[in-house]
Amino acid sequence: MTTASRQARIGRIGLYALLVWVCLFFSIPLLVVISTSLKTSDEVRTFSIFTLPAAPSIAAWIKAWASACTGLNCGGVRVGFWNSVRILIPSVIISVTAGSVTGYALSHWRIRGANVIMLLLLLCAFIPYQVILYPLVKTFSTIGIYSSLPCIIAVHVIFGLPVMSLLFRNFYAGLPEELVKAARIDGAGFWRIFVSVMLPMSVNILIVATILQTTGIWNDYLLGLIFAGRDNMPMTVQLNAIATTSTGIIEYNVNTAAALLTALPPLLVYFVSGRYFVRGITAGAVKG
Amino acid sequence: MSAVSVVGLSKSFGTLQVLRDIHLSIDAGDFTVLLGPSGCGKTTLLNAIAGLEDTNAGVIEIDGADVTHREPSKRGIAMVFQSYALYPTMNVRKNLSFGLRVRSVPRQEVTRRVDWAARLLQIDELLERKPSQLSGGQRQRVAIGRALVQQAKVFLFDEPLSNLDAKLRTEMRVELKRLHKELGATIVYVTHDQIEAMTLATRIAVMRAGRIEQYAAPDDLYETPQTLFVAAFVGSPAMNFMPGRLDSGAVHVGRARLPLNGYRFRSSPVTGQEVVVGIRPEHVVLARGEPPEQTIVANALFMEPMGADTLGWFQFGEHRLSARLIPQVARGLSGEVRLSLLSDHVSLFDPASEVRL
Repeated sequence: MTTASRQARIGRIGLYALLVWVCLFFSIPLLVVISTSLKTSDEVRTFSIFTLPAAPSIAAWIKAWASACTGLNCGGVRVGFWNSVRILIPSVIISVTAGSVTGYALSHWRIRGANVIMLLLLLCAFIPYQVILYPLVKTFSTIGIYSSLPCIIAVHVIFGLPVMSLLFRNFYAGLPEELVKAARIDGAGFWRIFVSVMLPMSVNILIVATILQTTGIWNDYLLGLIFAGRDNMPMTVQLNAIATTSTGIIEYNVNTAAALLTALPPLLVYFVSGRYFVRGITAGAVKG
Repeated sequence: MSAVSVVGLSKSFGTLQVLRDIHLSIDAGDFTVLLGPSGCGKTTLLNAIAGLEDTNAGVIEIDGADVTHREPSKRGIAMVFQSYALYPTMNVRKNLSFGLRVRSVPRQEVTRRVDWAARLLQIDELLERKPSQLSGGQRQRVAIGRALVQQAKVFLFDEPLSNLDAKLRTEMRVELKRLHKELGATIVYVTHDQIEAMTLATRIAVMRAGRIEQYAAPDDLYETPQTLFVAAFVGSPAMNFMPGRLDSGAVHVGRARLPLNGYRFRSSPVTGQEVVVGIRPEHVVLARGEPPEQTIVANALFMEPMGADTLGWFQFGEHRLSARLIPQVARGLSGEVRLSLLSDHVSLFDPASEVRL
């Protein structure tokens, strides 16, 4: 073996060693949480957080899911889980649908003041939530739906629309204008073109939008806390309640299990659809 | 009654005037080509006829009906786009039938028309394929097929051959000509390629800066261009231009005096008037028995062999002249050469207004 290739090989090994080390470093918090969730309460208190569980058990997971207490309610995080699902599904469907139609209209139909609308959308996308919380609360309580499921869904749709519209507008702007012209000459109108021509081409961007909205809405804490009402608190809010409940000893193993349960859905979404995510992002970005 | 009639059409984008008072009357069955350099407004005019572009003033009539403010789909037109604009998620059959399905044409009729168009264009083997699985030429055929099934009154083509390679373009040109003959359809066709225009058209409208300079049959356009622009734009290699001065019954070019016995002046000529003399390369020949006062002396610069003939370039005073020569004759040419300009074929233009005299 020549010196040069040996040196190159040593370099490779060094590179991989560094990468593995960096990987470990970044996954330590996750590993600690996972290992803690598999221990018993005693084990957590007695040993260091880095010790591996002596007899891994999913007891803490079961307790977190089915019988962990928030205040006086001891139904586990599954209550919050189903609340989150009830909030998530309509919010995602409505915001993605509305965003795609808006984006399509803004990109392929000559609308008076389309540029102004775009500018406003862009501005809206960057307004911090905190600024409009109070006016929103007042508005919703005036209408009379404050603290309800429709209220939190409406809030998620409103906050999702600017980004969704921009995302779809940029994607559709990258598609050739002549497609729409050809369809118009073929006799198709606004909706027919959208459904028959544009939507079938939008699979990737629809997946991207759904992922963005799903993770965003699932991970939301602030809006859920303020707008959902007591009966519809999403999983994140409940998780916080479990972790901060201070009756008796703190069950770290149950808390970590609850945290992992809460984080699981977005993680799953990424694992299942990461491929589309990357593809969709580049499809939208490069073709324009 | 004309199939398409455009009256006083104007269009501007902001301060940029793209179409200026266009008047155009296209007869049924005509293959009209809108020809011009890029930016002359030819595509805008086509889009205006299609209804894809709003206009500022003027009237568009198709088959006798005022369609100026009608939707594209209500004008009785079909269109083929430069990029083909096939629906990428539909197979060829669905691409062809989309317009018919939108209009709720009965299913049997849809199948009949799709099969008819597919046979006519020889794409019946491809009906189940997606556009991405087709070659450029096949996509082109599908795009034409999509227009044909509409059985429209007027077919509009927007530079349909410009994305094809040279060989395919020649093939499709022949194909288009055949289609036009077979169907007897009225076609409006945009291109910047004058060969395409000359070979396909029954009439050509040459456009410049939002105006139609001349609307005539290809031969008329080539032989009697009405403006200096048309003379220079149509024909390859381009027409030669030299300054000249009118005399009674003749024009002086350099020291030569060319008799104008057969020239049809549009207004009576003024003796002594300065003119631009235009003559095509095939009408510049090596002098053989002509009287010397009817010939010019020029310096041979270089020869461009083009196969069937050779293009000879000559320096004549400050001007460069090209002549289409027989290759064998052109081979040994050098130094001073005596050239004869066939005066029966000259075109004369007013240098100020650039209009034919």
